[in-house]
Amino acid sequence: MASMLEFRTPGFNPYAVKYSPYYDSRIAVASAANYGIVGNGRLFCLALGPQGIQIEKTFDTNDAQYDLAWSEINENQLLVACGDGSVKLYDIKVNEFPVMNFHEHKRETFSVAWSPVTKDTFASSSWDGTIKIWSPARKEALRTLPVGNCTYSTSYCPSNPNIVSAVSTDSHLRIFDLRTPVNAQYHLTTKIPVHQPPPFPLPPGVAPPAMPAEILTHDWNKYRDTIIATGGVDRVIRTFDIRNPSAGPASLIMGHEYAVRRLAWSPHAADILLSASYDMTVRLWTDGSTMATDHAYPVRPGVQLGLMNRHTEFVTGVDWCLFGVGGWVATVGWDERLLLWDANQMLRGKTY
Amino acid sequence: MAAFERLSQISGQLTGSKSAREKLLVKSPDDIVVTACLRTAFTKGGKGGFKDTAAADLMAGALRGVIERSGIDPALVEDVCVGEVLAPGGGATEMRAAALVAGLPESTAVRTLNRQCSSGLQACVDVANQIKTGMIEVGIGAGVESMSLQYGPNAVTEFSELLESHPEAANCKVPMGVLSEEMAKSRSIARAGQDAFAASSYQKALHAQETGLFDEEIMPLTVKFEDPKSGETRDITVSKDDGVRPGITAESLGKIKAAFAEGGSIHAGNASQISDGAAAVLLMKRSTAEKLSQPILGKYVTASVAGVKPLLMGIGPWKAIPKVFEQTGLTKDDVDIFEINEAFASQCLWCANELGIPLEKINPKGGAIAFGHPLGCTGARQVSTLLYELRRRGEKIGVTSMCVGTGMGMAAVWVAE
Repeated sequence: MASMLEFRTPGFNPYAVKYSPYYDSRIAVASAANYGIVGNGRLFCLALGPQGIQIEKTFDTNDAQYDLAWSEINENQLLVACGDGSVKLYDIKVNEFPVMNFHEHKRETFSVAWSPVTKDTFASSSWDGTIKIWSPARKEALRTLPVGNCTYSTSYCPSNPNIVSAVSTDSHLRIFDLRTPVNAQYHLTTKIPVHQPPPFPLPPGVAPPAMPAEILTHDWNKYRDTIIATGGVDRVIRTFDIRNPSAGPASLIMGHEYAVRRLAWSPHAADILLSASYDMTVRLWTDGSTMATDHAYPVRPGVQLGLMNRHTEFVTGVDWCLFGVGGWVATVGWDERLLLWDANQMLRGKTY
Repeated sequence: MAAFERLSQISGQLTGSKSAREKLLVKSPDDIVVTACLRTAFTKGGKGGFKDTAAADLMAGALRGVIERSGIDPALVEDVCVGEVLAPGGGATEMRAAALVAGLPESTAVRTLNRQCSSGLQACVDVANQIKTGMIEVGIGAGVESMSLQYGPNAVTEFSELLESHPEAANCKVPMGVLSEEMAKSRSIARAGQDAFAASSYQKALHAQETGLFDEEIMPLTVKFEDPKSGETRDITVSKDDGVRPGITAESLGKIKAAFAEGGSIHAGNASQISDGAAAVLLMKRSTAEKLSQPILGKYVTASVAGVKPLLMGIGPWKAIPKVFEQTGLTKDDVDIFEINEAFASQCLWCANELGIPLEKINPKGGAIAFGHPLGCTGARQVSTLLYELRRRGEKIGVTSMCVGTGMGMAAVWVAE
């Protein structure tokens, strides 16, 4: 068995983990007491060193923390999404209190994402059915985009600062283009029913459920900037090409035994992604896009490249390290643990 | 509360996808529920039991009925919205007065609205939305029409030159019969099919009346009635739809001459009747209903509205029903009963066929062809007709829908409990 680094978050159940975009030795975990149902939250800012994983700073909040995002313009700052509807900006050099508090969401904030291109805005999404676009320098949201139902995850297009995506309870992937005029749709340009079967025959043996289901997570491919992967309650990971929203999924990736809670495309390869699930596993996949096309079946089945089952509770967070040899990942779960491990080992046939 | 909701959210994510139908059946404290609904009987315009009764008097009766039936403290009703189409000035003054007569206190606000044939539904939807946003806690959505006293050429003012100069705008004032005849022709809806649909509406309504299926929804109302022969005025109690009559078959309707065009297909027997009537629906949040120990008959889920070509106004439900399905994730198979207003057999039948709705799911107690379509009332009437029938059958999900003059459609989803 390949080795891994471990850090414990006693009393707190992690909900998200993110590597710093500036340092390969910096990592943060957002967590919540009592599984995020009632109680405080704690943000762990961690440093990797010769002594293993050490706490650099912690920040406590009155309510649970469900997500975090590192600032793209200040290596010491990061955002957390809180159960009370607030988004808080912390600075590792400032003790205890947030340097900014953004509180407009009326229900739990479930996700935050920092604009990776212009780096001057961030987005948050909430159970209150809205996405809000913020400037780190202003307390009031710049824009509010209505989704209308519990919005679990929002994200920026990695190449275009005006394009924001979201997934939510109603089984749809939405794309907003902030350049469009504010019409009745509030910048909504595309709305893809994730559960809808494609208008083509599916490869033999691939039979995804066709019922609407909550979508809990999504991520933009880092190489193909029109490809988004989604995952949720129906256990299926699907990829979509947003240039052709009516074509249905481009890939169908099946194998998880419970809801897919978080997924992340590899920053190192265009077809590789990692997913975390309530089935307590983390799985490494290729979406099949680099394999030969079978023209009879345009929808590609994903292929599982590896499975990590060292977590002993729901796995809620995954992230890829941007630096180094290009396979290190961080995963967190309700087992009060952060695990750092090398996903490349799986490709070499090793198991976790 | 928040902790419980978070817990049930996570458990929902674990147990997997619920179907849209299962989701609708979940009872949550924020649901907008109906705790009382009823209507007056519908009577024939110009000759039925309500021919001498003003719309406001009908409405006062229906409002009083809802208060009595629910046992609610009238002071808790914060707003009343009445759909009314034909009254000059929207009937705003008379309806405020009617609410006071019905026993609602001066603190209860009242307004009227007019979205033509969907006014009664729009009134319920508006009140439900007011409750949802927290503007009010308890409200009444209602509808009324006295076609006997207020139906006529005065209902639309002369079109300006500007409106006339725009072809699609000018189409908005084409009379219903004429445009429905056109639609029947252009969509090839055969007369035989229309007559069969209309006859079945009569037969279903007759059967429902004979077996007492309207008894729960209809509130008897005592009114003054002038006997047309003797000229004397007396009190009568109206408790039955008088448009329903026996012996109507597709063959008997087939003999009636078309009313709007030579060789046409539309006539008095396969179009909605001109009638008088009122209906009311008491709405509040489930949490409020439980606090007040109100009986919960069902809940309002959501509604859709859609525009279509003015000349094809009859296809409105065909556009509005899929829209409300998209909003809720439902499919036609999830729905147990559709109450689709029978403005004309032609349009109702066409919509049902296009949407692939089996005829046995549509208007199981008959519809406007058999017992009438008091314009502003119909949308509110359908709520009572639907909820009581769903409850009687032990079924759950219903849709009410109608086409709307000038080219619109509305649809709403309701769940019986």
